[in-house]
Amino acid sequence: MEWLRGLPEQLAYIDIMSYAMLVIRFFLPFLAIVIVARAVRSLLKEKSEAETWGYLSLPNGMRIDLNHWENVVGRAKTSDVYMEYPTLSRAHAAVIRDDKGDWRVYDISSKSGAMLNGDAVTGKDGLPIKTGDLLSLGGVELVFIAIDEHSEYEQAAARTRPGVQFKQRTTLAFLTQFQILLGIHLTVALGERASVAVPLSFLGLIALTWVCYIFTRALKRVAFEVETLAFFLSTLGLAVTASSAPADIVRQLMLLIAGVAAFFVVGWFLRDLNRAKKIRWPAAIAGILLLIANLAFSEVRFGARRWLEIGGFSFQPSEFVKIALVFAGAATLDRLFARRNLVSFIGFAGACVLALAMINDFGSALIFFVAYLVIAFMRSGDIATIFLSVGGAGFAGLLAIRFRSHIASRFATWGNAWEYANAGGYQQTRAMAAAASGGLFGVGAGNGWFQRVIAADTDLVFSMVTEELGLIIAVVTVMAILSFAVFSVYSAGESRSSFFVIGACAASSILAFQMLLNVLGSVDILPFTGVTFPFVSRGGTSLIACWGLLAFIKAADTRQNASFIVKTPKPPVGDLIPREIITSEIIVPEVEE
Amino acid sequence: MKKVKNRALCALLIVGLMVLGLSVYIIRFALNGDDWVSAAFNSTVYNGGVLSVGTLTDRNGVVLAGITDGSRTFAENADVRRATLHAVGDRLGNIGTGALTVFAPRLIGYNIVTGAASLTGQGRTVALSIDSRLNVEAYRALNGRRGAVMVMNYQTGEVLAMVSSPTFDPANQPVITDDDPAFEGVFINRTIQAAYTPGSTFKLLTAAAAIESIAGIETRVFECTGSHTVQGGTITCPRAHGGVTLDQAMAVSCNITFGMLAIELGGDTLAAYTERYGLSGRITVSGITTAQGNFEVAAPGTADLAWSGIGQFTNTVNPAAMLRYIAAIANDGVAVEMNLLEGARTHTRRIMPSAMATRLGETMDHHTDANFPGLRMHAKSGTAEVGGDQRPHAWFAGYITNEGFPFAFVVVIENAGGGLAQAGPVANRVLQAAVRGH
Repeated sequence: MEWLRGLPEQLAYIDIMSYAMLVIRFFLPFLAIVIVARAVRSLLKEKSEAETWGYLSLPNGMRIDLNHWENVVGRAKTSDVYMEYPTLSRAHAAVIRDDKGDWRVYDISSKSGAMLNGDAVTGKDGLPIKTGDLLSLGGVELVFIAIDEHSEYEQAAARTRPGVQFKQRTTLAFLTQFQILLGIHLTVALGERASVAVPLSFLGLIALTWVCYIFTRALKRVAFEVETLAFFLSTLGLAVTASSAPADIVRQLMLLIAGVAAFFVVGWFLRDLNRAKKIRWPAAIAGILLLIANLAFSEVRFGARRWLEIGGFSFQPSEFVKIALVFAGAATLDRLFARRNLVSFIGFAGACVLALAMINDFGSALIFFVAYLVIAFMRSGDIATIFLSVGGAGFAGLLAIRFRSHIASRFATWGNAWEYANAGGYQQTRAMAAAASGGLFGVGAGNGWFQRVIAADTDLVFSMVTEELGLIIAVVTVMAILSFAVFSVYSAGESRSSFFVIGACAASSILAFQMLLNVLGSVDILPFTGVTFPFVSRGGTSLIACWGLLAFIKAADTRQNASFIVKTPKPPVGDLIPREIITSEIIVPEVEE
Repeated sequence: MKKVKNRALCALLIVGLMVLGLSVYIIRFALNGDDWVSAAFNSTVYNGGVLSVGTLTDRNGVVLAGITDGSRTFAENADVRRATLHAVGDRLGNIGTGALTVFAPRLIGYNIVTGAASLTGQGRTVALSIDSRLNVEAYRALNGRRGAVMVMNYQTGEVLAMVSSPTFDPANQPVITDDDPAFEGVFINRTIQAAYTPGSTFKLLTAAAAIESIAGIETRVFECTGSHTVQGGTITCPRAHGGVTLDQAMAVSCNITFGMLAIELGGDTLAAYTERYGLSGRITVSGITTAQGNFEVAAPGTADLAWSGIGQFTNTVNPAAMLRYIAAIANDGVAVEMNLLEGARTHTRRIMPSAMATRLGETMDHHTDANFPGLRMHAKSGTAEVGGDQRPHAWFAGYITNEGFPFAFVVVIENAGGGLAQAGPVANRVLQAAVRGH
């Protein structure tokens, strides 16, 4: 506690204004912790009861719930409906519901076949199934019952809504406080460098945050944690812009608005599973076209040809292709069992990685590759295939290092940045010196020098945040991104469709891995690859793409009335009839011995 | 769905890696943050590569390096500036072992909580253990000759004087070209970054090895005829010393006695003692690592072996390392780690038995030497031949036992000639000033 000793002496020097700035400086990390901790705990702690969409009745009268839209029936414990009949295959059949409430049954990999009301279930499209139908799987006879609209509504009404333990608007109020104080500190610290645009942009940001919240409430949705975290991160992004390029701050706010719009647009696509599935191929083709355009027309900046300029607006196509990759990779359960579907995805992902390698954007290529690994594993569960592709990529990576001197030099510097402080380690050593200067609480927003270093507000932004706002906020920022991945995994168990599980996990993996490369690369723990920090790095394409990816994470939130992307049942017309009566009215056919 | 849910766990692998990597970074941040902020390109506390915060003073509060109107200034007195240049360092950190570089984290007031951003941006005041007055005495006594002077308190480890020559005025730094003989190695602090042929001062080590290893050494009488031929060469003394005891041999610095002792002890034994007493390794002064000395094991029975016991052959010793050894002799065999910061805690380590320290001290007795009036002087001179047509390096190393002045010292003057004649007066002038006080 040596630093405490000099404190009184130091405090005696400074004036009221500096005191106020000092208080803000030391208060911001506290607010950041509260905001992120509240949002994350709310995501993980608010109750989420399982949904029931139908039942399978066994001959002995036992009834097994169908908790998802997509259910595997089989002998394996990993089946959603698992029964220990020796004649049943491990994953025998799939019973799948669509948006409209229509169900189909598929024979996925059974040995003994599946029969629906006496007809064999074959083909990749399966057969439609409705309440009362008799399903025979390897001799095991089951009656299928789907819940009707009344029960669906009743179930929705009975489930807990989030926002009970942690009031969303309280968390948001903390965020508003954070934004106000940060805006004040920046405006004062920047002095003459700050135009009136800086405080106005922060006011605009606060307005945007609340408009978004009110819009969500208008859609009768009560959860706002994911958005709160993203707005917290975007606030840091705006602060970074204010400090490094005050003239650009309005543009950055506009891009943020575009990002939020992208969030709602992608969310709207995901809201309807059929629509989302239909867009997969167009998205993949658009992605490939974008990358081809990138290859053909791009200009070289900082050693990579990742920018494309159209009508005076330059953007990085690869950022948008990330969204296409997730669309193309996510798949409903019925498709997971056909290898052919995976092969076409591998082809698409491979083409993306190759295209990125050709434009020298190895950071993005690596992100795509990891996203591919996550998706491929979630779709196939096949470790061998994964290892094979890792081996292939490793070999390709070696070739890349061998032939691209630019990359090779980064590997040579790796781990020895301080020895090459004025050569290959230039940026990393400046990053570490600046970060350490910030300590836990930072030198204060707008007070840093690191913003003058090239790419400080993009590829090295983690250290810029550490310098100006301190290590506490920098670590909290990392935690915010990681919480997306944790939440995606955590909520997977209650998801309706594997499409959303894969989508959320792929999207959050992209964000987390991109951050990993950014953070660890800029401080010499990994080779410096030069990718952006999701939401925080200055720049448009990346920000918009991150908000787009966020929609996939929001789509995985199946807590009642949590997500505008997840539909809620409409109130049924007429009187509510208790569920018991409905189910008892169903006539279960006699099972012939 | 359950299967897909289980597979979703793979996304946590990335989370795990990130947490791991971040933990590594946070640990490095906590351990190395002080080094990171001290990089000269850190504009938080450096301005154009010049540390722009923090004040350095000597032990009496004399400002050695301060800040005036945001830029780095040095001591008011020009001789103080020149005399403390190597202890303090220059503006741009060319002198890498200067306090402005080495103690930059302290001057910055770095701590992990507020980083380099002290609340006022003023930095801290750091008091060095050196006494600028003694440095000036040493600087003036060297009188422009290349060399090194170091004085320490052998009980506390505090370094009181640390002067390296040639030097310059850091407030008006001259243009220094690489081949300018007047500024040969000017950016090197010769007290800690140089290693010299030790000459006869090394006999203190040969004697220590002999006292412990050779039975009956105290009663032995050595015969010096002025010249003694062994395999591969002849050992000579300036004149024939006749029959001498160990004490007499030390007092007259008899080469033949110590050459024969070296042959008797063998190269491996000498090497072991050299290492034990830190003369061939590196030591640290407030965390600054010194230049490494050298001791080469010569073939048994050869003139090379004999000369290596007299501090010639290929031997080299760093002045600070020699001072540490002398100080341990003065301090009853306990070596105190040297420190450049006032009042800093230091580590101590016994490197030789008390009896040995006393015995070696006796051999260094100069109490009655008229060259050092009023000083209870124990010392050993060295006139280190450096080959060619160059004059020898002059060494004088020892300590005084005057009440209240537990000071050890080392003086080396390059190519100056006889140790006692050239380096002795420098030591005398500095110590007289130290004992007289203000």
